[in-house]
Amino acid sequence: MFDSIRGKTPGNQIADASQVIRRQKGDMAERVALHAEAPVKTNAKAPAAAMDKPVQPIESRRLGKDEPLTLRAATFLGDALDTLDRRRTETAPFARISMPDAGEKQTGPWALVPKRKRPKRNRHSRKKVAFLRYGYYDIVFKFFVEHVLDADFVALPEPTRKTIEMGSAASNDFVCAPFKHILGDYMEALELGADVLVQFTGPCRLGYYGELQESILRDAGYEFEMLNFATVTGKSLQDYISLCKKKVNPDLSLTQGVANMLAAFKMIESLDAYNDLFLRLAGHETEAGSFERARKTYFADMRAASCRHDIDEAQKRGIAALEQLPVSIPADPVRVGIVGEYFTAVDAASNLDLERKFLDMGVELYRMMNLTNRNLRYNEPNLRRSVSEYVNFDMGPTSTMTIAAAKNYAEQGFDGIVHLKSSGCTPEIDCMPVLQRISRDYRIPILFLSYDSQTSDTGLDTRIEAFYDMIAMRKAR
Amino acid sequence: MKRNSFSEPSKAADLADVRRIGIPRALLYYRYGALWRAFFEELGRTVIVSEPSDRGVFEAGDAVSVDECCLASKLYLGHVAALIDRTDALFIPSIANLGHLRSFCTKFQALPDLVANSFSERDIRIISCLVEEQETHTMARESYLALARRFGATPRQAKAAWKAALHAQDAADRMAQSTQEHALARAEALPKESRPLRILVMAHPYVAHDPYIGGPVADMLIEMGACVLFADHADKERAFKMSLDFSETLPWIVNRELVGALMLLHDHVDGVVIVSAFPCGPDSMTNDAVTRRFRGKPTLVLTVDAQSGTAGMETRIESFVDILRYQGKGGYLHVR
Repeated sequence: MFDSIRGKTPGNQIADASQVIRRQKGDMAERVALHAEAPVKTNAKAPAAAMDKPVQPIESRRLGKDEPLTLRAATFLGDALDTLDRRRTETAPFARISMPDAGEKQTGPWALVPKRKRPKRNRHSRKKVAFLRYGYYDIVFKFFVEHVLDADFVALPEPTRKTIEMGSAASNDFVCAPFKHILGDYMEALELGADVLVQFTGPCRLGYYGELQESILRDAGYEFEMLNFATVTGKSLQDYISLCKKKVNPDLSLTQGVANMLAAFKMIESLDAYNDLFLRLAGHETEAGSFERARKTYFADMRAASCRHDIDEAQKRGIAALEQLPVSIPADPVRVGIVGEYFTAVDAASNLDLERKFLDMGVELYRMMNLTNRNLRYNEPNLRRSVSEYVNFDMGPTSTMTIAAAKNYAEQGFDGIVHLKSSGCTPEIDCMPVLQRISRDYRIPILFLSYDSQTSDTGLDTRIEAFYDMIAMRKAR
Repeated sequence: MKRNSFSEPSKAADLADVRRIGIPRALLYYRYGALWRAFFEELGRTVIVSEPSDRGVFEAGDAVSVDECCLASKLYLGHVAALIDRTDALFIPSIANLGHLRSFCTKFQALPDLVANSFSERDIRIISCLVEEQETHTMARESYLALARRFGATPRQAKAAWKAALHAQDAADRMAQSTQEHALARAEALPKESRPLRILVMAHPYVAHDPYIGGPVADMLIEMGACVLFADHADKERAFKMSLDFSETLPWIVNRELVGALMLLHDHVDGVVIVSAFPCGPDSMTNDAVTRRFRGKPTLVLTVDAQSGTAGMETRIESFVDILRYQGKGGYLHVR
């Protein structure tokens, strides 16, 4: 329905396709090209200057040994052409033109998501509710849906490469990576028969996720309801409840809902406490895989919980089991703190399971960023006071926590800090100069990682190994 | 409680010694420039605004920025660098939001700390104030009045300065708005055959009017004989209200005003040019929403990054204008 045109280099007027074109100054272009090819873009701190060199794993990833020679040759040729194409077109700004069909005239209504009819109360059928994927919190989401909303929960399988590919294909290029992950999750959930999707809100782009995703999915032809908490931000509890009643379950019980909501908060605290212990100990396991197995059992136990009492019991059993596992802790273990953005720092699927990689190297991990610390117990002004020599204002949704955690780790004499964010995350980018100052002041190496929608972790492995080698050598000295 | 904090004698007029105040000509300067200038001049200070952006400013800013920062933010740091040695202090407010659904990009709330940390090795004095009406109810008025008190102004002087500032900004906004309305009326008064193309440039004010980012776009369009309208020169309050019909949750006030302006002017324009600085957070989502919902007008979306010339941009705009002209004559197949 739309004609897309693509301008070419000067002199050549109009061609087909909707490919994007950009102009960059010389070295900027280099960097962007690198960013597009290498999965993870890194900026090592001064002591880690040696790691600044680019890593190029792309051929090894695409050309599997088992594939027939012709296919490998074709893939190689395709890659080379891609590279050439990028070189040729990166000397101009992105441009995209859309044209209305002849005679098409639009006068409104303009609503991005048109108003929908309210379901009749006496015709309520039990809804199937799906959340996004977010680390191990699907356990809480399930509890919330089944015991607070009193509806069915659509459990999503582990995300695959296809998830993020679907999500990226339907979103804008330079929207942040969590948006693409979540959009992919929603598509899978809808394929699995979900009726209602749930989206949260936040003071950054997250506040607009829900509406835009709803609009994209509707344009793609899906039929569903969106429980978007951004529509009731800053309103009273009554509004939250009536939204849930309207979208999910008109017969929702208030007394039960509130009691179970408190239990859900307890569950979040329990899961985060367990995870803290896990991250601290799992690197020192003597029997490979024992911690992972224990965690699996614990998660299954927690998933079966249906009330506050069950949660407490599951927690007791889980912690006890974890503490009984044999470990060999060296006298002075390598300790690394993880800081960063709300989604990428927490969700293993979007940070390519960075924690597992460090644990496999025998590192003790600490991560302040989780729902307990950021949502349930977050006191921003108080936290900011602990870093008052660096910042005076709240710099963004998770900035104060990132900075406070980094300073805390530096003061405790950690061996290194890893900063995770999705590429283009404005608040976390603005934190980076502060982190660089902390790094200088406390002489602590910081590894900056920026994630886009890549699916290969070869580049990440190289960086993490180099970082580990560097901090381990510093320690030995 | 708030009122008490400045009806009692101010703690210390710690900024009384500041005579020359620097304001970087970037980001929110293009929205609040008149207000800031009038405010400080009314307090008897000299205001020094940095020179318009050019390649030198960008390079200075790029050198102190994190790679991934947006183009506009790099320029801002460049302007800061240009002002440090010429002024006693720089005015860099932290502006988070003006209430629910009236947020700014988190960049504007982080700016004072971002600048302080990026220039931590230089001796830089930053004057700041906080505007965050949604969470902490820190209203703009109170914030600026408290700031005036820190300059040693009496409460009466502080109020006078704030009033003058509001007045100046209002006058500047009205001026821009009426100039634009007249230009549009003049264009529409012409007979259809000789009427110039009316093109709406939809961009953040610091993109649309910055000579290094989006400025050339408007210049080229004018050079090609088009009547250029700026979305940020529309009636802001009306545009904001209009945008509520478009989106229930769009959080950013500037994007809301731009979308609202597009809705107000939709029937009066032949084409829309959306310009964004790479990689703008709010625009990454709003542009997507706008291009999928507003389908009745030809639209060109341009994403501008640090470029070494304007030739690439020229090609795109030229071809867009050509398309509009062909279309006006009945399409490619019916050119007379």
